[in-house]
Amino acid sequence: MAGRRDRGPKGATFRLANGLSVVLAPQPDSPVASVWVWYRVGAKNEWPGVTGASHWVEHMLFEGSPRYGKGEIDRAVVSVGGELNAFTDADFTAYFSTVPREHLAVPLDIESDRMTRALITDAEVDRERTIILSEREGNENWPEFRVDEELWQLAYRVHPYRWPVLGYPRDIRDLTAQGLRDYYHRFYGPKNATLIVAGGFDPRSVAKEIRRRFGPLPAGGDDVRLRTEEPTPTGERRAELHGPGTTPYLEIGWRAPSITDPEAAATLFLDAVLGGETRLFSVGSGWGHGGEHPNARLYRALVDTGLAVHAGSEWGPRVAPGLFTVQAQAAPGVALERIEAAVGATVERLARTGPTRQEMEEVRTRIRHGRQLAYEGATKTGFRLGYFTVLGGRALEDRLYRELLRLRAEAVRSRAKAMFRDDCRAVVRFTPTSETGRD
Amino acid sequence: MTDATDPLLIHRLPDVGGLAVYRQAPPPGAASCALTYVGPAGWGYDPAGERGVARLVSRLVPSAAGRFGRQALARELDRLGATLTPDCAPESAEVTIWGPSESWPRLFELLGEVVLRPRFDAADVDRVRRQAVEAALRERTQPGGRSESEFLHAVFPPGHPYRETGRGDPRSLHRISRSRILAFHRQHFVADGGKLVVTVPARAPTISALAQRTFRALPDRSPGPLPVPPVRTPSPREVRVDLPGRAQVEVRVGGASLSRSDPDYPAALLANEVLGGRPLLSRLFQRVRERGGLAYGASSVLEAMRWGGYWVAHAGTGPDRWPRVVRLLHGEARRLVAETVPRTELEQIRESAIGQLPLSLESTSEAHELAVDVAYHNLPEDHWRRWPAELRQVRPAQIRGAAERALDPGTAVTVLVGPLTARRAPSGGRREVD
Repeated sequence: MAGRRDRGPKGATFRLANGLSVVLAPQPDSPVASVWVWYRVGAKNEWPGVTGASHWVEHMLFEGSPRYGKGEIDRAVVSVGGELNAFTDADFTAYFSTVPREHLAVPLDIESDRMTRALITDAEVDRERTIILSEREGNENWPEFRVDEELWQLAYRVHPYRWPVLGYPRDIRDLTAQGLRDYYHRFYGPKNATLIVAGGFDPRSVAKEIRRRFGPLPAGGDDVRLRTEEPTPTGERRAELHGPGTTPYLEIGWRAPSITDPEAAATLFLDAVLGGETRLFSVGSGWGHGGEHPNARLYRALVDTGLAVHAGSEWGPRVAPGLFTVQAQAAPGVALERIEAAVGATVERLARTGPTRQEMEEVRTRIRHGRQLAYEGATKTGFRLGYFTVLGGRALEDRLYRELLRLRAEAVRSRAKAMFRDDCRAVVRFTPTSETGRD
Repeated sequence: MTDATDPLLIHRLPDVGGLAVYRQAPPPGAASCALTYVGPAGWGYDPAGERGVARLVSRLVPSAAGRFGRQALARELDRLGATLTPDCAPESAEVTIWGPSESWPRLFELLGEVVLRPRFDAADVDRVRRQAVEAALRERTQPGGRSESEFLHAVFPPGHPYRETGRGDPRSLHRISRSRILAFHRQHFVADGGKLVVTVPARAPTISALAQRTFRALPDRSPGPLPVPPVRTPSPREVRVDLPGRAQVEVRVGGASLSRSDPDYPAALLANEVLGGRPLLSRLFQRVRERGGLAYGASSVLEAMRWGGYWVAHAGTGPDRWPRVVRLLHGEARRLVAETVPRTELEQIRESAIGQLPLSLESTSEAHELAVDVAYHNLPEDHWRRWPAELRQVRPAQIRGAAERALDPGTAVTVLVGPLTARRAPSGGRREVD
């Protein structure tokens, strides 16, 4: 089924003298243009006392730079009908604006202005502090957020994947404006950034425009590579949480390889067989099967049997070894012990017998289709090109795709056997306190 | 771009029985296609004592159909690279199939299969029921879901289709038998009052022929009109639900509003955009978040449906900050009615809303939503072409008048759900006990 759309988009890639890496992906028919800047800076670059700084800097980059006063970045993009946003992860921070194509100069100007010269004033940092606390509180209303946060803290002792991207509440309260400016000036700069432009534009004139706007910027940016390695765990780690909620919930995490590890493809495949999601190569719009795949092993073992109402797995690819997680929401009246036993039996069986021939073929088919439709729309294209580039370089997607299609069942089985070990897993269980509110 | 290839022009094709069929050209360069059936099958039709049945049916319809059991249907979708997505609202339910453009004829048939011949296998019914019970329990215990349902209950009278969230409750969900599910499907997944919207790379005669072949077996009867009791204008009141142990209080302020077909709708839409609808530019976002630092987000929604609607201003905030947020939400809603919106502010909001149209043509799925909107609300075929001009005709004084009707702060209900007792409540608030 290999065809024209089986490959990533054609585009030009170049690097400016200051280190800024640029990817242009023209889509001549597109009525819009999407501009993305990906910084290889995230929670992984923080340390105790400044947790949440990457995410906070992300907020501050909308609050003023030399040519754009407070609120003017939003106004400049939204008032031409565009949309803009940003997000922070452990490994990166990404900013994007999608605008009608005739307004492409607007986001290019904004990104060049705030790449090294964001103002980050004392007053704005203080005002933003309560907004970030509020963002955290909104998440804390959900037991699943609390469980996931606890799981990463349990699984990691020294590596920065241990702290939450939003930061610890105490650090959010205490971090100073100067501390935030220091963090920004230390890591932000063309050297640590990739600029993506996708959509309807003339690549030659846009390349010229990029050189003019971004070329004069100082390279900036400390080395963002991680040197800390998390020691291999020597036994299972467990935590029990209690709080308001509806039904018991469980999350288990096993140490998993990084995205650039030779085992990455087999881990992604395992995720698809167990939880049903092909993630980096999933078929787009809609959830398909109500968010979960009825042929996935966990679904069949837990949801079809009535033990759980939801069950899934997730391997979120990271630049350093991360976690492969399994989550399950118990059905009303079912104890978590039964859920945990069923999860254990499911992963153990996969490690023993591997995926079936039918499972292998079905996952490959889904991956092929996912890739085929992956680049519809400029925004999606910008996201995808930036994501792969930041995590492992421009060639990563093609390499992973080829490996996934070549993968044998034995390689998946052997990955399962190596990964699903009781002595290197972390388990967090949530038990709700029963109440439904006082009117 | 010709009329036949312009995705902003939604063509009405010959009906199939009572089923209205619409065609939209995919956006330029699109690799995917989308098809949606919309039926008069929303939770407003839930029979008394069986609250939640419409949502159950909506979840089950794309689960297994005809010769495809649940796992076989999933395999067939995977083989095609397609997804099936159900959606349910007070007035209607819909099923959308999305996948590669070249597979559109097969996707067409598959959509017909799930709409006409869902299996409702007993094991599927049990599974979806369990999930629905958990969702209903969650609605009671999570501030977000609870504030939504408390708000709707406070605004709409018993028996009104907009009064519920459609999730039902554990007791009603357990009471719904498989035979009642089958009966609901028979009565509500029908041609009369139904819509079929297709965004595929094909010409009108080809689509008409396939629509005829696939959907002619759809029962040509109507479930009858949805009973819509009048909404009495309530006096302003406050509903508080204390949920201790949560981190954040959900605040909602709003009331009943107008229908999509109301002549004031374009002005009301812009009024809501000024208040809290337009991301980043709106007054609520600016006052509550950007200037006040009181909440991560603050926004408002105008939900204009066929027989009426509601508006709601919303924010999630800390237990020590909600009284200030409540004051700001009320204050901004009042200001919209008391003062004419400055021309420059209106221009910025209006041009932003108009400029969004090209962004909706980025992908098939986004463009398809425009077509479903035209079909569902019986809008003119060239509605989206005329929309910018319609919005540009709205004058500042009209915004004020429409806000008075559609976003009336004088009758607004205030709902607070979350850890309220973490702080002493201010005096003067009425306590609603249900």
